[in-house]
Amino acid sequence: MDELELLKKDWQSNTTQVEHQLTEKELYPMMHKKSSSIVKTLFYISVAELIFWIIINSIPYFSSEEYRAELASMYGNSGVLLGITIFSYAVILGFVYLLYKAYKSISVTDNAKRLMESIIKTRKIIKYYVIYNLVMAFLSMTFGLYYTVYENPEVSEQFAKFSDKQMFFAMVIMVLAIAFFVLIFWIFYRIIYGILLRRLNRNYKELKKLEV
Amino acid sequence: MDKELEHNFVELLEKHQNIVHKVCRLYTNNQDAHNDLFQEITIQLWKAYPKFRGDAKFSTWMYRVGLNTAITLYRKSKRSIKTQEFESVSFKIKSVEYDDTEEQQLKLLYKAVHQLNDIEKALVFLYLEDKNYSEISETLGITEVNARVKMNRVKKKLKTILNP
Repeated sequence: MDELELLKKDWQSNTTQVEHQLTEKELYPMMHKKSSSIVKTLFYISVAELIFWIIINSIPYFSSEEYRAELASMYGNSGVLLGITIFSYAVILGFVYLLYKAYKSISVTDNAKRLMESIIKTRKIIKYYVIYNLVMAFLSMTFGLYYTVYENPEVSEQFAKFSDKQMFFAMVIMVLAIAFFVLIFWIFYRIIYGILLRRLNRNYKELKKLEV
Repeated sequence: MDKELEHNFVELLEKHQNIVHKVCRLYTNNQDAHNDLFQEITIQLWKAYPKFRGDAKFSTWMYRVGLNTAITLYRKSKRSIKTQEFESVSFKIKSVEYDDTEEQQLKLLYKAVHQLNDIEKALVFLYLEDKNYSEISETLGITEVNARVKMNRVKKKLKTILNP
């Protein structure tokens, strides 16, 4: 007999042989327990990301008057700073909307492939949000560095002693250091999501492979 | 209204709980993990229940939610690693109609099925539950042809595992 047919026969004859049949009384509390699914975890991580970057974006507004004044002078006039702030909050709002929509579209009653796709899509939105923030962090740190070196009287005085070559290397090293920090952040994210979605990615690949 | 919904749901779940148990058997290796997955599937079923429309059979709907939870949503619990595996115990062959060789073969078969990957297990599960290829393809989101092709490959794979 075909192996699977033998298995099927046994499987179906075993239908009622689950050792411990749960009663309604046992099932009630189970319904209301908290889920620990990857979607839930993904949701918490994305909320944490949003809050984290909102805090980072808001730091200038909660720090000292002088810091704000310095920031304003750095951008020439406060209009630019205001513009940048409005832009960054608009981006955050945009991401919140996209994430909300993506989470809404995740349905456990979809077929397996579609469910995986909607989770992957949600993860992608978070990924773009992270990339956007990391790029912005890199740009603002580099810009801040440039400003400090050339515009801040105390610092630029020290750098004035440097030859052109030394200056060039100092800048390269500092930009590399910033890039390194951003990269560490990125690797950190990759690891978090990599671990969380490893199984999903593997299974999705397996389903996709069938289409080839 | 909510109480009524809850009551209806629990009644249906109690009646059809074997489907969930079977999914758990296939995707976990010990009792703790089994309970954990059962718990998560119950939560997912309950969460999705308000949208459940009578046009699908409750059991059919359960297959989908159960498998989706096992394959995609479920995160393996940490405590499941510590506990003993129960492969041979989980599929107790209680009936007497099998002779020794058949019993032995069945044990090996269940063991072999446990070695398959998540998608292959889903295919085997639906096959064992006597679902036709159209249902299998709808549950997994693949075409019927691909479901057939994959099923044949799984059969071959099982043969290789059994007769290395």
